[in-house]
Amino acid sequence: MSEAVVGQTDVRTGGVHGFLIVRIGWRNLWRNRRRTFLTTGGIAFAVFLVVSFMALQLGQYDVMEENATSLLTGHVQVQHAHYPEDSRFEETIEHASQVLETVRATPGVVAVAPRVEAFALTSVNERSFGAQVLGVDIAAEQQTVRFVRMLASGHTLQGPQEAVLGTVLAKNLGASLGDEVVVLGAGKEGGVAALVFTVVGLLETGMADLDRALLLAPLPEVQAGFGLDDEVHTLAIRVDDLHRSQQVVRRLRAALPATLTVRNWDQVLPELRQGIEVDKMGGRIMYGIIMALVVFSAINSFIMTVFERTREFGMLLAIGMRPGHIMGMIQWEALFVSLLGIAIGLALASGLTLWLMNVGIYLGEGMQEYARQFYMPDRMYPAFSWEAMTVAPLVMLVGTQIAALLPSLRIRRLKAADALRAEG
Amino acid sequence: MSDLVVRCHSISRTYQDDSVPVRALVDVDFEVARGEFVSLAGPSGSGKSTLLNIIGGLDRPDAGTVEVDGVGLNQLSESDLSDLRLHKLGFVFQAYNLIPVLSARENVEFIMQLQGVPAGERHGRAEAMLEELGIESMADRRPGEMSGGQQQRVAVARAIVTHPVLLLADEPSANLDSTTTEELLKLLRRLNEEHGVTIVTATHDPLVMSYARRQVRLRDGRIIEDSAREAA
Repeated sequence: MSEAVVGQTDVRTGGVHGFLIVRIGWRNLWRNRRRTFLTTGGIAFAVFLVVSFMALQLGQYDVMEENATSLLTGHVQVQHAHYPEDSRFEETIEHASQVLETVRATPGVVAVAPRVEAFALTSVNERSFGAQVLGVDIAAEQQTVRFVRMLASGHTLQGPQEAVLGTVLAKNLGASLGDEVVVLGAGKEGGVAALVFTVVGLLETGMADLDRALLLAPLPEVQAGFGLDDEVHTLAIRVDDLHRSQQVVRRLRAALPATLTVRNWDQVLPELRQGIEVDKMGGRIMYGIIMALVVFSAINSFIMTVFERTREFGMLLAIGMRPGHIMGMIQWEALFVSLLGIAIGLALASGLTLWLMNVGIYLGEGMQEYARQFYMPDRMYPAFSWEAMTVAPLVMLVGTQIAALLPSLRIRRLKAADALRAEG
Repeated sequence: MSDLVVRCHSISRTYQDDSVPVRALVDVDFEVARGEFVSLAGPSGSGKSTLLNIIGGLDRPDAGTVEVDGVGLNQLSESDLSDLRLHKLGFVFQAYNLIPVLSARENVEFIMQLQGVPAGERHGRAEAMLEELGIESMADRRPGEMSGGQQQRVAVARAIVTHPVLLLADEPSANLDSTTTEELLKLLRRLNEEHGVTIVTATHDPLVMSYARRQVRLRDGRIIEDSAREAA
């Protein structure tokens, strides 16, 4: 303000005390309690809904990722650099024992399962079917993945010359426990690989592809039969925390030669990652709609506030309050409304999430098959995550400030003399 | 310092009312000396509120110049006009226009807070003003808990607590009964006579006019009579 305007007065000049605006903003909330409760309730409802659903959604993703990766693939895989694309039998990890030791010594790695993967013709008596032969170290597999424990009958691999078959493959071959199965394939150098195993167990994973084609056999015999030395196709790795698997991937890439590729689970199972991304996007759209509706309702509420208090604003302008300060007052009101709503919504959502983290939501019998197909358990458990707890509150906080700002922009154009004549 | 608090020279103001030009003020010359108690009287549409608004920096003339306490208003920006109102003028409105969520004391302190007066001084001046106007018992009540007369007294306290050079009152008695109006007018006269507060009020209430020592009558945007007289 120019000195000419106030030079002859005896009062001190100074800015508006922020606390004054804050205090009026807070008290104004309770002038129209019903409207405040409705606006606050809307924000609380949106925050509760979005936080709770996001927690459930993220919890489901955690379960899906863990279930999918712990079934067969592991959290991380090491392979020959070209094997993921070509899947050619000769593209192996050479000096596998040495690589295995390096991987085991990497921080974050809990277990490593070396595998030889081959396609072969399997025969029992007169029947023959194509099969995926997996040469495994059964003890390492049991520490790394779950599928080897999913036996429908018999027992797992315990000694040489033993094989475990998928239930559907066994049925197609007409094989029973104790039967001999002949495996014929092509060795690394082009020779014939011929092996004979005794069926000691039948696997039922619930995954059609595995149950229809899988034949598990001891790693040394498969390596020998298919002409491999100290070579494997895949090292399936379990890490201590799936959320930090990318860190382990970085460490492994630094430790292993460039002839090998290290892939995180989302590269090994891209369809799972894509499915989660698509589902996340759908969720975001739904959450966006819910929050947009509440923000529009808040805009309506603040439009009413600004129109109803036009005369009051005219008075404030007349006695010398700046339009910006009046707008600041409205913004404080909006902040209080959103903070109240967010606090209520977060408290309700946190309570529900914590409770459901213990008891879960039972999906019902009809959902069990569907759940298994998508690597899900038959109960849904939410996950307590910062993402779930912060996104909706922040969006609502900003949304409510914008909702208050839009109608209060009118105050900048308000003429005090006209406003004082307004109905109020 | 000039002895004139208000100096309006040849001011005109025309409004557009449904595209029809309405001449609210026509070539008006008007001056108010320090310490005067002036009533602007006239029927509705005579231009008295427009003149009051222009003096108060709430409206701008289409032509002519306005000075308040030696400051030319025509050249001031909107923010400078805000500051002028905050630091030099006091307003009393027809509908009291107190801030409903603040107590009487807080309403009186409000403008001082806007001015940045320290808390201790603010509280003391507000208490003293409420006591001076006989409403100290209402200090903690909010406007909704007070009668119209009490609210208007709080409005007067708010308007004069910062010692403005000019108190502008627009139909201050419009919502008051005759007894309360008389009490308010005695208060205004006391402030004028004992404290030297310069007062300009727009009114069509004969009782208010009778308390002013100078009556200015307007009709159709022109001053038709300007007379000093013995107040009631």
